[in-house]
Amino acid sequence: MKQPYSGPLERIDANCVRIPRGYKPGMRVPGVIFVNDTLLEQVKKDQAPDQVANVAYLPGIVGASIAMPDIHWGYGFCIGGVAATDPAEGGVICPGGIGYDINCGVRLVRTNLGYRDVKNRIRELVRELFHTVPAGVGRGGAYKFSGKEMKPLLAEGASYVIGRGLGVPADLANMEANGRIDGAEPDNVSDHAIKRGSEQCGTLGSGNHFLEVQVVDHVFDAEVGQAFGLEKDQVCVLIHSGSRGLGYQVCDDALATFRTTHTKYGIDLPDRQLACAPADSPEGKRYIGAMRAAANFGFCNRQLLTQQAREVFERVFGSSWQDLGMTLLYDVAHNIAKLEEHTVDGKKKRLWVHRKGATRAFPAGHPELPAAYKATGQPVIIPGDMGRASWVLVGAPGSMERTFGTTCHGAGRAMSRTAAVAAAGGRKIEKELEARGVIAMAQSRRGLAEEQPSAYKNVDDVVEVVHGADLSRKVARMRPIGVIKG
Amino acid sequence: MYEYFEHTADLGLRILAPDLNALFAEAATALFAAVVDGLDTVQPQQRIDVEISGTDVDYLLFDWLRELLYRFDAEHLLLSRFEVTVSDAELKGSAWGEPIDPARHVLSHEVKAITYHGLRVERVGDRWIAEVIVDI
Repeated sequence: MKQPYSGPLERIDANCVRIPRGYKPGMRVPGVIFVNDTLLEQVKKDQAPDQVANVAYLPGIVGASIAMPDIHWGYGFCIGGVAATDPAEGGVICPGGIGYDINCGVRLVRTNLGYRDVKNRIRELVRELFHTVPAGVGRGGAYKFSGKEMKPLLAEGASYVIGRGLGVPADLANMEANGRIDGAEPDNVSDHAIKRGSEQCGTLGSGNHFLEVQVVDHVFDAEVGQAFGLEKDQVCVLIHSGSRGLGYQVCDDALATFRTTHTKYGIDLPDRQLACAPADSPEGKRYIGAMRAAANFGFCNRQLLTQQAREVFERVFGSSWQDLGMTLLYDVAHNIAKLEEHTVDGKKKRLWVHRKGATRAFPAGHPELPAAYKATGQPVIIPGDMGRASWVLVGAPGSMERTFGTTCHGAGRAMSRTAAVAAAGGRKIEKELEARGVIAMAQSRRGLAEEQPSAYKNVDDVVEVVHGADLSRKVARMRPIGVIKG
Repeated sequence: MYEYFEHTADLGLRILAPDLNALFAEAATALFAAVVDGLDTVQPQQRIDVEISGTDVDYLLFDWLRELLYRFDAEHLLLSRFEVTVSDAELKGSAWGEPIDPARHVLSHEVKAITYHGLRVERVGDRWIAEVIVDI
C-alpha cells in the first residue's frame, strides 16, 4: 500500500516545489508543496504528493492546492494540506479537508516558573497531571454536560465554560476567533455526536494528543519573544487535543450525507474521502453549521484541559495559578475551515480556507488579531515530538501572499504506526526519554512506541522551511521535560 | 483472517474470508483487536443487534464498522464476537461483549473513525478481500 510518489515535482525556489496542473487531467490548479532539499526525499516516500494533486480537483479551488513541509499521507487530503475555495464560483466545503478531529489544535500556557523551580519536582508534577487529566481510550472526564447544556456550549464556545468559572475572560482574547466560531448551528449536530461528546469535554484522548511541560531553551527573536512574554528557561505547558468523539461523529455524519452529493452537483473526484458539496448548497450549509459547533467544542475541551493543568500546578507548587502566571499565550486550530477575506489577483474575495493539519499565521496588522498581537502578528504554536522540541513562531506577511494566511502544524510523521512499533522492538521508550531529560507517562505502552521521537520528522527542519518561505518566523524553541499521553 | 497494513498516520485493516458473512465478522474482530490489547480478555456477556439496509457492499461494511465504533465510544462497550448475515439489500448482525473494565482491559488505540480512503470489498477467486483504513 505504501508506495513512493513518482510524479513530477518542479522546484520553484529553495523552499517550494510545484506539481504541474497537467499531472492529472482533473486538476483545476497546480499543487504547491513547501519543502526544501533536506525534506524532499522524505516527502516522496509515500503518496502524499498525489493527494495534493487530488485536492486540486475540488470545484472552486483558488490559486493552488498547497501543502506544508510537515506533509504526510492522510486519507483524502494529505496532512499538512491547505485549500481555499471560492463560494461565488461554486466552491465546495470538503469535510475531508478539515478532518475527523474538527478543531484539533494546540495552546500554550505560560508560567512564571523557571526550570530551576521545576526540575526537582518534575516527577511529582507529571504524576499529578497524569492522574488528574483524563487521557486515553474510553476515558470520560470530570465534567459532564447534559444534552440541554451542550447546546449553548456548542453555540458559544469557550465563553460558555468560562462563564461557569472554568477560566477567566482574559483567556478568550488569546484564542483564535476568541474561542468561538460564529454561525455554529448546534441543532445540526446529531444526537449521536452529542452523546459521544457530553462526557468527553476536558479529556485529552489518544493518538498524537498530549499535554507537555516544556522549558524555553532558546529565544530567536528577542523583541517578539518579549511581546509574547517568553524568556529563556521559562516553564510552559503545551496542550494538544481537539473536539473528541463529538467532532469525529460530525465529520462521519457529513461524509455519509455527502456520499451522493457528487452525483447531485456533478462533481468529479478521484477519492471518495474527498466527498464534498458546494459551500452554499443546503448540504454544505448544514455541515458548516455543525462543523463550527464542533470547533467550539474543541475550544471548550482545551479550556477544560487548561483548568485541570492549572489546578495541578496549584497543588504541586502551593500557589494560585494566577500567582504562578499561568496565562494563555494563544490557542490555535490546525484542523478547520474558515471563511476569510483574501486578496487574489488584486481582488478581495471571501474564501473557504481549509486547513488540514495546518495553522493560521496572520501577520502584523491583520484585522482579525487581538490588540495584544496586532503589532507583532499572531503566535503560531508548533508541537514537535516528545523527545526533541516544539516551537513558537509568529505569523509573517509571506503567508498572506502565498498560503492564504497559513503555515505548518507540527513535525509530521516519518514512520507509520506499525513501523514505529516494529522499530521500538522491546525498547523501553519511557527509559530512553528519561535519559534525555523527559519524564513521560502514558496510558498505552504501544501508544508511546507509536509516538516515539524517531517516528517523526525533525520539527526544526520543518520550521526552517516555513521561516525561509516567510510564512511564519522563529520566536522561541521549547524542549519537553514532562509528557502525559493517552 | 486479518492483518494490519502500513499507513503513515493511521492504520489499515486487510481482511480475507471465504464468504461475505465471515468477512464482515472478521473485519469487526480486526477493528476491536486494534482498540483493545488481547481481545480474549473481552467476555461475551451481552449482545447487541445491528440492522443496516443498503445494496452497496462497500458501504454496508463501512456502516457495520461505523455502528460498532459508535457503540464502543458512546456506550463504552467492547465487543469480541460477531455474527453477520449479508444479503442483497441489507445486513443483520449481532455482536457480543461487555462494558470496559479498566482492571481487566488494556486499551491501545482510539479509533476516531472509519475512512472511505482506499475502501474496497472484492471477490478474488474463491475468497473475499476487504481493505479499510481507520483514523487513529
